[in-house]
This record gives sequence, structure tokens and C-alpha cells, in this order.
Amino acid sequence: MNERRPLLLICAAMALSAAACERDTVTHVRVPKSADAPPAMPPMMMGGSGMPPGAMPPAGMPGGAMPAGQVAPTTDFPPLLWTLPSGWTAKMESGMRFATLKPAGAGKVEVSVVVLPGTAGGDLANVNRWRGQLGLAPIDETQLAALRKPMQTDAGPVALFDLVTEGKERSRMLAAILTTESGYTWFLKMTGGADEVAAKQAEYFRLLSSLHFGKPSAGEK
Amino acid sequence: MAAQRKPSVILDVLCSLKLAIVCLSLLMVLVVACTLAQVSLGTNGAVSMFMRSFLVWWKPEGWRTSLPIFPGGALVGMVLAVNLIAAQIRRLAFTLNKAGLWLVHAGLILLVAAEFVSAALQVDSRMPIEEGQTRDFVEWTNNYELSITDPSDANVDDIYSIPDSLLRAGASIPLDGTPIAVRVHAWYRNAEMRRRNPNDPPAMATQGIGTEIDVREAPPVTSEDSRDNPTAVVEFLAGSKSYGTWLASAGLGAPQSFIHEGHTYQIALRPRREYLPYSLTLKKFSHDVYAGTDIPKNFSSLVHLVDKGRGEERDVLIFMNQPLRYAGRTFYQASFGKNDTLSILQVVKNPGWTLPYISCALVTLGLLIHFTLSLQRGQRSRQRLTQEAAKATT
Repeated sequence: MNERRPLLLICAAMALSAAACERDTVTHVRVPKSADAPPAMPPMMMGGSGMPPGAMPPAGMPGGAMPAGQVAPTTDFPPLLWTLPSGWTAKMESGMRFATLKPAGAGKVEVSVVVLPGTAGGDLANVNRWRGQLGLAPIDETQLAALRKPMQTDAGPVALFDLVTEGKERSRMLAAILTTESGYTWFLKMTGGADEVAAKQAEYFRLLSSLHFGKPSAGEK
Repeated sequence: MAAQRKPSVILDVLCSLKLAIVCLSLLMVLVVACTLAQVSLGTNGAVSMFMRSFLVWWKPEGWRTSLPIFPGGALVGMVLAVNLIAAQIRRLAFTLNKAGLWLVHAGLILLVAAEFVSAALQVDSRMPIEEGQTRDFVEWTNNYELSITDPSDANVDDIYSIPDSLLRAGASIPLDGTPIAVRVHAWYRNAEMRRRNPNDPPAMATQGIGTEIDVREAPPVTSEDSRDNPTAVVEFLAGSKSYGTWLASAGLGAPQSFIHEGHTYQIALRPRREYLPYSLTLKKFSHDVYAGTDIPKNFSSLVHLVDKGRGEERDVLIFMNQPLRYAGRTFYQASFGKNDTLSILQVVKNPGWTLPYISCALVTLGLLIHFTLSLQRGQRSRQRLTQEAAKATT
């Protein structure tokens, strides 16, 4: 019996080793938005969502919450101002995205605000990139012209594009491109489920029609 | 008869002193080889290859398969531990006189076991944190993940993370709880990226910034000062619908995204994250130098710890050799940057960190008991001899 004891211990040691070999799996976590800050270490190459190839993000993008009804000016480009529809919230972002606007209610609809220098690749490249994000086929200049809906604001002419997918649960994107005389291009994209976007569409248009440059008025601050 | 002798032959070998000496000799060879290999493989690569493996593998030039050429540190350590245990049980009588030796052997066995526990369970990570920033996650040092984030909810982000160990070309990985599946087209532990030229072959990516980038596999970095640029080419599918093939790389900045049924899914390849039930806010990082010189005197991070679950909230000063030990993790001051506004904390989670201390205490206690008992025996023996000598003279 005593002679078998070491063999049992060997088996126990091997079982312990096997148990220690943990297998990796896909994980899912839910984290508060404010806690998931972007990595502090700078990436080697910039690019990504909302950013056309070759474009670099503007400097001076502050983080933190923004007072309702306005956009915080930066030193690099003229400040774009807007009036938020009732119940909407706005938050400045610290990455590529300049700001995120949320309509009232707990839906999944949001408006991203991105500003980039130059034409940022042009309307066709950007629209096709967004179509790719929605799983839609690319289009050509002729189809783009038919898709473009012009809109006039105090900040300048806006090209509006309405992209919607097929299927049972459709996605929709309302994208506005504002090209300014200062050489910067602003993108205001509302995305979400087709029905949710349709419910907030009128408020989004009101937001677009309020766009202007200059100092914030007393009502906006 | 032969069947009865067989286990005893095996036990003879397992308990033999020769086996212990062979194991110690093999460990010495492994230590030398591991030290030399750090030049070409880096510290982690060399330790993984020689010390934390059961066999050391070698791939001859032009061969498809690798050959085992030497026992690895894990195998030698395991045999040595078994040898110690077997020898102790078989040879050492369980008596009070031998109590000290039992403790010494137990301490040595625990020391070997501690290395196995560390190899299997220790996780090295880090927390880069800028002044004013609050962090509730750590980033693993040598592991990465493909993260798919759904930011649709107003208050929380849903983050699905695929560890790099699952990112193998050809793998198809469903994201449970979503209609999305990820098909891996390519995975590079390290890759070089550059803007595509018109003459380059077509990009593997059909969507996102990857369509503009040429990717080439590169050998893993070995320098401690540089890091790999892990890169994956992945396709996202929802049922039969494909959202295209995307390039995800730690070298890319902002996440890319696609939209399915009103949900935006942001894609990023980043150091593997582990979220904590508490947070640290860096209040101030200090980089002190000796007066009149640039010679560092002290690095320290003043952090504010908040653990709502435990109702704990306090300031902690972390400085050289004075880490913060909290909830099973140790936060060391490791590095800094961004003009002294960024502090990088090394974070170690090792459930067996106390074992070497217990082992040393056991060995110390065992030696004390053993020498005390030996001293007593010696004194008694001397007294007896003195008494016998006295009797003989009278």
C-alpha cells in the first residue's frame, strides 16, 4: 500500500497540471461607457471609422461632457454650432469622433459628428464606405447624384444621403456632409434601426437646419 | 512475482538520488540555454521555449515539423518534484526526530510547486493611465484580442472579445448573443504595414482602411523595448450576409465599424483586456531627480482607488519597491511617458505569490527544528560520555 502512494501522488500532480490548462473562449462584458477610455498608448498608424483614407484627425479634440445646445470651439477650425432638439444629449469624444449626439429615449439611434481637413476623400468615397458598413453594394457617380439631397443651412450647403438596408430588421443611415469655406468637412451621421431613425428623422433635420458658425448665442449656452 | 517487482523498480528509479542529480543537471543546462536564447528570442520567448514547456522543440531548416530535442523545464521540474515526494515518503521515517527534515523537504516541494502554479496561473498585465484618467481594466502584456463593441446602449457598451489564441486562419467564431460570426482569413503575430502602391497585389481586406494597406508578415520582435504588431484579416457574417473582409491590427488607431440591424459593431485588435470591479484614477505622477542632475531619484504615482462593491475609497501612493496590493493583484510602478503625465503600472496577478514565502518559512523552521534536535541529541550524548568517563575514573 505504501509503495503505491507515490504513484497516486504522481497521478494527482498530473491531474493538477491538466486542470491548470485553461482554454481560451470568447468573452462578453458590459462596461459603463465612461470607463472604457481609448488606449493611452498611441497607435502606429491612424485610420478607422468615419475617417477616409489618408485623412488625419484634427488636433484639439477635448474629452468630457458638453453643455446642451452647442459645440465647443477648437483653435484649429471655425466652431460649428447647433441647437439640440429637446431631450437630446451631446458628448465630446476623445478619439476620431468629435462628438456623439443622442436623441431622447433609450433607443439605439445616435448622431456622430466628425470633422476632417480638406474634402476627406470626396462624397463618392465616403458614401461607398458607409454603404460597405451597411453591407450595401458600391455605387457610381451617376447613382450618387440621384441619391444626393441638397439642403441649405447657415453654415453652408449640406449634401444629405439616405442609406437603408433590406431585410427583416433594416438598418438606416442619414448622413450629412457639410463642406466649408475654411477647408474642413463636417460629417453628421444618424444611424440605427430603420424605424427608430424614421421616428427621429424630423428632429435630425431640425438639428441640421440649425447649423451655423460664429459665437454661441445666449440661448445656446 | 515479476508483477510484484515491477512497481518497486519504478519506485526505485523515482526515489533515487541519481534521478535528482540528473534533474538538477538538466535544469542547469536549461538555464544556460535559456539565458543564451534570450538574445534571439527575447525573455518571454526563451522562457516559454526552455523553462515553461514540457519539451524543447527544434525545427530543422526546410522541415515542416519540429523535433523534440531536450526535456523542458516543466517536465524536469515535475520529475524532480515527484522524486522529492517519493523519496520523502519512502525513505524518511515519520518520527519526531525527523520532523525538521520533513518540513525542509515539504518546503522544497512547495517551492517547485509554486513555479508550476506561477507558470499556469500568473497573469502579467499593465495599466497605462494618464493624469486625471480613470481606469477599470488592465491590458495583458503579451496577449491580444479582437474586440467587437456594440455601443448602441445609452449607458453601457457590449464588448465581445476573441482572444488571439482563437484567431487562426480558417476559424469560424460565432459571437453568442448576437447574429454575428467572425471568419478568420489570416492571422499574423507580427506584421509590417504600409500604404499600398498601385502595383501591389490586391488587398485582402474589402472594407475599411485595410483596402488601402499592404500587410506583410514579420518575425516576432525580440527586443524588450519594442512590441509586436499583431494583425488579423477577418470577415463578418450575419447568416448568409457578409459585411466584407476587414483588416484589424494593433497598429491601426480608431476602431472600424459596420452596421447590422441598427446595431453598430466597432472592430479593434488591441491588447487583451481584463475588466476590474474597481477603478484607479491617477491624481499625480512624480518623476523626481537628484538636485542639479537628470539622474532619477524616484518615480511615484498617486492614485485614487474606488471599489464600490467593498465600500472602499482611498488614495494610494505607488512608488519603486512599494506596490499596491489589492484584490489579488499587485500594481508596480513600471514606466512613464508623455512628458511625465502618463504612468504605466505593471500589474501582476499570481494566486500563488505567497507560496515561495511559505516555502522559505517551512525550510527555515525545518532547519531550526532539525539543528535544535541534533544539538539536544549531541548534548545528551556528550553528557552520557562524560558520565561514563567519570564512572570509569572512579
